[in-house]
Amino acid sequence: MSGNSTVPLVRVRGLTKSFGSNQVLKGVDLDVMKGQVVSVIGASGSGKTTLLRCVNLLETYDGGSIQVDGVEVGYADANGRRRPRRERELARIRADIGMVFQLFNLFPHLTARDNVVLGLHKVRGMKRTEARQVAEQWLVRVGLADKLDSLPIELSGGQQQRVGIARAVAMSPKVLLLDEITSALDPELVGEVLTVVRELANDGMTMILVTHEMSFARDVSSRVVFMDAGRIAVEGPPHEVFGAAMQTHERLRSFLARIELKRA
Amino acid sequence: MIDVMLKGLPFLWQGLLVTLEAAAVVVVVALVVGVVLGIGLSYGPRWIAWPIRLLSDFVRGLPLLVLIFSIFYMLPLTGWQISNFASALAALAVFEAAHVSEVVRGAIQSIHPGQNEAGKAIGLTFSQRMLYVILPQALRRFLPPWINTVVDTVKGSSLLALVGIVDLMLSIQQVIGRTFKPMPMYVLGALMYFVINYTLSQISRRLEARFAYVRE
Repeated sequence: MSGNSTVPLVRVRGLTKSFGSNQVLKGVDLDVMKGQVVSVIGASGSGKTTLLRCVNLLETYDGGSIQVDGVEVGYADANGRRRPRRERELARIRADIGMVFQLFNLFPHLTARDNVVLGLHKVRGMKRTEARQVAEQWLVRVGLADKLDSLPIELSGGQQQRVGIARAVAMSPKVLLLDEITSALDPELVGEVLTVVRELANDGMTMILVTHEMSFARDVSSRVVFMDAGRIAVEGPPHEVFGAAMQTHERLRSFLARIELKRA
Repeated sequence: MIDVMLKGLPFLWQGLLVTLEAAAVVVVVALVVGVVLGIGLSYGPRWIAWPIRLLSDFVRGLPLLVLIFSIFYMLPLTGWQISNFASALAALAVFEAAHVSEVVRGAIQSIHPGQNEAGKAIGLTFSQRMLYVILPQALRRFLPPWINTVVDTVKGSSLLALVGIVDLMLSIQQVIGRTFKPMPMYVLGALMYFVINYTLSQISRRLEARFAYVRE
C-alpha cells in the first residue's frame, strides 16, 4: 500500500465529533500525501487540535473515517459493522503515527535517552543496546548530544520539546502529528524547535501540524488548511492561502489579522 | 515498674510475632488486591469501576471491629469453615485493601493525563503504560499514604485479640491477668507498637526522598 503516490497516506472523510452537545468537527475531509507537510491553522475552538488527536485516536470520533496507509484507525470492520479496535490493534496502529505534544509530555522519571528508548525497546522490540544507539543518534540529530543522561526537569523547554520530537521520530512513524509544539515555549526557544521540524520536512517526513506560527507554516508547508467552526473553510498551497484566499475569505482575513496583532 | 516490664517481656515475644505475621500477611494481600482494585477504579469501564466504588465506600464506612465480627460470625453460617485466624485476617485484609485502592486511585489521578497520552502515542499497550509510565510515577505519591495504611494495619491487628487470637495485645492482657499490674504492661505494649510504627514512618520518609525526581 505504501509507496503508491496517488493514494493519500492519511485520508480523512466526513469526520464528525461531539463533546456532549457541542459538535466540534462537522464533517472534515482531508488528504495528506506521502512526504507532504500540512499545516492546520484556525482560531481556538475551531476543531484543529481535535482533528489531529482523532488521527491517532487520542480522541474517538463519532462519524466518518480516518485511514492511515489504508488502515482505518479507530474501528475494525467486522462483517460490515464497525467495532472499536482492541487495545493491541490500536497500539500497533499508534506505533506508526508519531505525535509531539504542546506540553512535551516527556516521561519525567526517565532520562532523555530512556524517553526515546522506551518505545524502541518495548514497542519495536529492539534489544536495549540497539535501542540506546538509535536513541542517541536521534538525540544527537536534534542537538542534544550533551543531554543524553539529563532528566526532563534539567532541560529547558526547547530542549524538552526536541527530546519529544526525537522520541516520536525514532519510532520511524509513517506520519508525524505536531500539536502546537511551540505554544508553551518562551519566544527565544521557538527557533531551535522549528529548525528541527524544518529538517524533518526536508528529509521527506510526512507531517500534519497544528500551529500558530504563520510564517513557519508558510515556509514549510506543502498545503495550509484553515479550519473554522468544525469545518475546513479554506485549503491550498501557502502562497494561495496567505495570498489570494486571504483577500476573498473574510473569516480567514480576520483570523490572520488577529494573529498579526498578537505578534506586534 | 521497670522490673514488672522486664519480667513480663519474655511472655510477649510470641504475641509480637503473631502481630507481625498477621500484619505482614494483611499488608501483602491488601497491596496486591488494592492495586488491582485501584487500577480498576481509575481506568475500568463503568461496570468494573462502579462495583469497586460501592464495595470500597461500604467497607471504609464500617468500623473495623464491626467488619471483623461480621465476617467472624457470618462466614460459618455460609457453611465455609475457616479458622479464627484466617477469618480475622480476611476481615483486616478487606478493610485495608479498600483503603489501599483509594490510595492507588489518588496516586494515579495525580499523574498528568498527558503521560498516558504520550504512552499511547508511542504505541504502548495499557499494561505497558501502567508498568513503565504511570505506576513508576505514581509510586512516590503512593508511598506516604500507603505506609499510613501499613501503620493502620499494625494498629488494627490489635483487634484480632477480640476474636481470641493471641497477638501482642492479648499476650499483654494475659500477663496482666496474672500480675494484676496493668499499667507497666500497657506502657510496655504501647512502646512496642510505637517502635514498630515509628520505624515504618521513618522508612517512608527515606523512600519519599529517594523518589523525589520531580521538582514541585
